[in-house]
Amino acid sequence: MLIVPAGRMANGYKKGLNGADVDFEKTWGILEKAFQEIHTKNASALSFEELYRNAYKIVLKKKGEELYNKVAQFEENWLGNNVRTGIVKHLTAPLMLDGTGRTLNTQAERREAGEKFLKSLKGAWEDHQVCMGMLTDVLMYMDRVYCTDHRQPSIFAKSMGLFRDQILRTPVRPDSPTLLEILTRIILDQIQMDRDGEAIDQFLIKSNVYMLEGLYDSDQEVEDEKLYLRSFERVFLQSSAAFYREEGERLLKESDAGTYCRHAKRRIDEENDRCRSTLSEATTPKIQRVVEDELIRHKMKGLIEMETGVSFMVENDKLHELSLVFDLEARVNPQKPELTKAMQKLIVEMGTNINRNAVAASQATAQPAAAEDAADDAPGKSKAGSAKAINQQTVAALKWVEDILGLKDRFDNICKASFAADQTVSTAINRSMADIINAFSRGSEYISLFIDDNMKKGIKNKSEAEIDATLEKAITILRYLSDKDIFETYYKKHLCKRLLLNKSHSIAVEKQMITRMKIELGNSFTLKLEAMFKDMTLSEDLANGYRNHVRKLGDADPKRVDLGINVLTAMTWPLEAFKSASEQEGQESRAQVIYPPSIDRVRLGFERYYSEKHSGRKLTWQTNMGDADIKGTFPKSKGDKPRTHDMNCSTYAMLILLLFNDLPDGQSISLEEIQVRTNIPMNDLKRNLQSLSVAQKTRLLVKEPMSREINAGDRFSFNENFKSEFTRFKIGVVSAGNKVEGDKERKETEKKNNDSRGFAIEAAVVRIMKQRKDLAHAQLLTETITQLSAQFKPDVNMIKKRIESLIEREYLERIEEAPVPSYRYLA
Amino acid sequence: MASETDYVTLISKDGFSYVVQRSSARISPVLKRMLDPTGAFLEAKDNTCILQDMPGIVLEKVCEYFYYNEKNKDARDVPEMDIPTELCLELLMASDYLDI
Repeated sequence: MLIVPAGRMANGYKKGLNGADVDFEKTWGILEKAFQEIHTKNASALSFEELYRNAYKIVLKKKGEELYNKVAQFEENWLGNNVRTGIVKHLTAPLMLDGTGRTLNTQAERREAGEKFLKSLKGAWEDHQVCMGMLTDVLMYMDRVYCTDHRQPSIFAKSMGLFRDQILRTPVRPDSPTLLEILTRIILDQIQMDRDGEAIDQFLIKSNVYMLEGLYDSDQEVEDEKLYLRSFERVFLQSSAAFYREEGERLLKESDAGTYCRHAKRRIDEENDRCRSTLSEATTPKIQRVVEDELIRHKMKGLIEMETGVSFMVENDKLHELSLVFDLEARVNPQKPELTKAMQKLIVEMGTNINRNAVAASQATAQPAAAEDAADDAPGKSKAGSAKAINQQTVAALKWVEDILGLKDRFDNICKASFAADQTVSTAINRSMADIINAFSRGSEYISLFIDDNMKKGIKNKSEAEIDATLEKAITILRYLSDKDIFETYYKKHLCKRLLLNKSHSIAVEKQMITRMKIELGNSFTLKLEAMFKDMTLSEDLANGYRNHVRKLGDADPKRVDLGINVLTAMTWPLEAFKSASEQEGQESRAQVIYPPSIDRVRLGFERYYSEKHSGRKLTWQTNMGDADIKGTFPKSKGDKPRTHDMNCSTYAMLILLLFNDLPDGQSISLEEIQVRTNIPMNDLKRNLQSLSVAQKTRLLVKEPMSREINAGDRFSFNENFKSEFTRFKIGVVSAGNKVEGDKERKETEKKNNDSRGFAIEAAVVRIMKQRKDLAHAQLLTETITQLSAQFKPDVNMIKKRIESLIEREYLERIEEAPVPSYRYLA
Repeated sequence: MASETDYVTLISKDGFSYVVQRSSARISPVLKRMLDPTGAFLEAKDNTCILQDMPGIVLEKVCEYFYYNEKNKDARDVPEMDIPTELCLELLMASDYLDI
């Protein structure tokens, strides 16, 4: 009961569905007619269901292949006959002529014709897509059953391929290019117009590009075989490359670097926009690369070396343009080699200039200085001249430091403002700075002088922040310096003078500086400098202690001379800084100066006091470094009251003046006499007498004969008519400040420095060998250099010599059988 | 052009018409394309589809399935739909036709 109707129904259904006798030709006739309607945009009268049912039936009858082919055939005919002719119609004369290269038509005409063509092509493409969409819907069952089973591309893909073959790949006329080629050319032409600033219909091109992107090179529809990538993009990139190469060269010739940069940047942005608005996003990175290659990478060198290139920009502080150059180069290469090179070259150039100027400035004065050195003991007028020359050299040194700092500031500024504080560039700049600073042999001395000068006068009337900045500056340069040990020597020398002669403006600042150096250069560097400060404080305590001690003795002698003293550790203080070159050779400097009894008593008293406190220490009196406050009473002249003046003078000057205390009025003493009675070294004596009898403001003595120089046989007497508007004044001694060294002093310093380096090297070598026992020569060298590089850059020859000497002294021995030269440590 | 309505009408070959929710009917790609308001065919215009090959009894079951499917879209352990044995073959063919 249940089965019977079901079977009946099933049969009937089958009959109804399959129709048993589906007439293919008839059914296809219906479909074909409908397709025609669809293509002519008349689909609204058609029943989807009917078409679908017909197609369904055909496929069900296993006629799918026939249907597929029919449809393809139909499409092919349609495209070939109707659509193509419609497009070819728009291939007007301007475009064709353009194709053969004989561009006779104006740009406007070409553009118009091109736009027409593009429009028609776009229209055809869009129609085709819509129609094929509808066809696909109707033929859904065919796609689903037949195409999947027989591995045919879907009818949609097939028809797209047909469009490609029929429309784009078919030559318009037998011997002419295909539409695709024409299309490509037209788009390129339009883009060219766009680049030249003409307005084009970007949207139109974009639609065509969409079409190309939607089509594939083959029916397989492989993703990277899009027609766009295969045919258009390549040509586009090529032509762009050619265009930009040409433009870049022209611009390099015609305009200045700043304009070029701006232009290049604009071009890149433009191409970006173009890709977005006109072409495909996928092209963006590629075209960027092309533009970067052509406008930047290949031109960077030329750009930087242009007359108006980087050096011009730096010279004229064109920060904005520099930043443009930086941006451009950063685009193509994160290392920015060209720009870095250019900056380094510039720094080295400018730095060398500064160095040369400094050398020139010191050279100009070195001549008289040298002459003076040679004729040292011939008391000549060159003394003052030489002092002046040395002053000039000091000025040169200060100028050098300022220049270097200026240079550094400038490039730092550029780096910050234009290069976004880029790591690579700033390291390069730093390296170059270090190079030029180290290329200047007197760098260490000059830097120390710079600090010295600032400590003495520079920081007067300056706020804390300013002082800080100055110190920071000095440290900055110091950081670049590789021969730090030389600097240490100089700094010690200069610091020593500052401390002993009370030239330093502020001890706090001095200490601050030392702290900074400690941070920057390490503990060992400042050890001796700190020791100097410690000596100073200890001495102060000592002097106070002594004063109390004397007071306790109850020896209330108002005439007693007060003593302030600095006890210095011989090792840490570079006392030879105070000796002039000639003194170091003469034996006389060692001889004791003869003190008048009042002074001598104090001296002995202190010696006693000191040896009570610290036994076993020997005090050596450095009288040439001391100074004294004395009170002088001058007889009244012409009705004035007797005048008293407080004078500050060197110990030697005091000794000399004390001689005149005992002298009856009007008497005079000869130079030789003074020398014998004081035992002051002749050189110092002369210098002091000069300031006492020649200098205008402190002429306490009258010299006979009256001349600028102190000669043997000159006689001195007390100047009773001395006048000064000050109650307190200082009697200066010629050349006591920190100056650039003379040649002789320099040699001395160098020699000493070499010696100390030698010791440092030996120490390092021994340290390394002690640890390693056996080591190859090359390795030993590198390790030594690394160990010492914090202090200075050791010379390889020197290391070799030192190793040699260590072998001689049997610290090391050569390993005979080693394949490479090696050493062994001998305990 | 027809506007997008919430309901569409399906008519069987023997004249039964079923008004179903468009969203439910869309599970069939064929119906979906057929009734797509952006399409240019007759059915889209009227929001009505005449299924020339389908008897009312089958279409009824099909519509039942539409709602059954819609209701149980996200659920698990769905109770099986009641399908009369005699309709099996027809339903099979209809589902092939409609691609559901």
